[in-house]
Amino acid sequence: MDYPATPYNEELIVRYLLGELDEKEQVEIEDHAFQDEQYMQSVLTVESDLIDEYIRGEIPADRINQFENHFLASAERRDKVEFARTLATVSAEQQVTQAAPIVRLAPPVRENALLAFIRSLNPVAAFSLAAAALILVFGMVWFAREGLRSRTQLAQQQAEQREREAQQRLEAERKRNEEIAAQQQREVKEGPTPPTPQPSPETPAPPTAVATLVLLPGLSRGSGGVPTLTVNPMIGTVRLLVGVDPQDDYPRFKVEVRNQNNKLVGGQNNLTLRKTKAGRTVVVDLPASKLTPGRYELALKGLNEGAVEDLGFYYFDVQKK
Amino acid sequence: MATETNPDDLPAATNRKWSLTQEAFDRLLRCLADERDAAAEKYLEIRRNLLKFFEWRGCPFPEDHADETVNRVARRLTEGEEIRNPMAYFIGVARLLVLEIVKARAKETQALGEMGKVEIVESEDPSEARLECLRQCLQDLSPENRELILGYYQGEKGEKIENRRKLTERLQVPVNTLRMRALRLREKLQDCLQKCLAAAEM
Repeated sequence: MDYPATPYNEELIVRYLLGELDEKEQVEIEDHAFQDEQYMQSVLTVESDLIDEYIRGEIPADRINQFENHFLASAERRDKVEFARTLATVSAEQQVTQAAPIVRLAPPVRENALLAFIRSLNPVAAFSLAAAALILVFGMVWFAREGLRSRTQLAQQQAEQREREAQQRLEAERKRNEEIAAQQQREVKEGPTPPTPQPSPETPAPPTAVATLVLLPGLSRGSGGVPTLTVNPMIGTVRLLVGVDPQDDYPRFKVEVRNQNNKLVGGQNNLTLRKTKAGRTVVVDLPASKLTPGRYELALKGLNEGAVEDLGFYYFDVQKK
Repeated sequence: MATETNPDDLPAATNRKWSLTQEAFDRLLRCLADERDAAAEKYLEIRRNLLKFFEWRGCPFPEDHADETVNRVARRLTEGEEIRNPMAYFIGVARLLVLEIVKARAKETQALGEMGKVEIVESEDPSEARLECLRQCLQDLSPENRELILGYYQGEKGEKIENRRKLTERLQVPVNTLRMRALRLREKLQDCLQKCLAAAEM
């Protein structure tokens, strides 16, 4: 191996992640991590453990400042902390729901003492005691059943509520997709907009699924490695996440999509940047019906005070399934 | 293609007089591997490592810094520089960039008369949307993986250690394997959560 043999030392990695090491030690850890996948994984596990310690308040007070100022400097790290917080909450919920009811057994009764006590009672008192015990047992059983029934009802209500919410989300998503598709059709303006056919009971439901394609600057701009989008009949909208180079700093963007015959098939104006998993992107939706099989060219333009500048061209292929 | 940017408009650490062109990017890929797909894969790996590097070094914008590193390497290639070990070369350039970033931040801090503290907004409890998404993502895992990830993060301090010890016994794996599996599941869940939230936003 041509990297310095940094031993797996958790404390050393923690100090590295908190920015407490000198340059030479930092370089050793980084070189080791970038050349040895297992060591890289070790750094990442220590990192995630450190995040968990932070959200549980287990980080020593003298390290909290370093953690917040150095470790949490980037948005990516703050996202990881946010995720850890969510996972801890859900994990705790599961612990509560999964935990079996704790039945604490009463310490074994000293039989002789109890028997001696019962025997010492007269028959009326003994009968009363037995009746009281019986009522107590029935009462406990009744309370237990009622409790169980309430919990079951509550769980059922929660499940129903969740199902209702899911249905509402689904409905909202479906409506939004339809609106996007309609808006795209209006914007493309290839001709007079045909009246939207009203779905009849016999007409099959319109395709509502959304297919997403990420076009990265550098990778999708060249001739090689052109990404392919497969469109099946269920897809109503194609969502393109167009990566924008960091130096392309414009308040607004415009996207035009053309087919092989240089015919405009879709596009959108006045788009703003979004931070997505794919980085800085502009998002454009196209009705899938506009995309027949073949190669497409997407032109990204920057808009600034009336001026339009070409920023890049991205290519993608469409195939139908 | 990308346009020239006025260097005066940018902070010192991100000044650019040169922009990545298609030709320069193609040359960069050729330097990584002969075959285009292999080169693209190598490029993505290098970029991933650069992101981690800038994150580890406490830089505020890992994505932008990684892109700037790529630009600088591509520029050196167009100037005729020969690169034998691309990963080491990229990291070397990234280290120089970190020095610039640190310097620029120190200047800004001084100018602002502050101690350079990052504003940490005390996080509230996760929103119901986040929780619901994560619950759904957990449901998509196999029962064994679900048990692993929940068991791994349950409990505090001593209890947590005990939970993990029991998990290693039950799954019959060494503790390091358990940690790696938990990490992979955690990454998978975080990815799923982000997709779920993005879908809910759209």
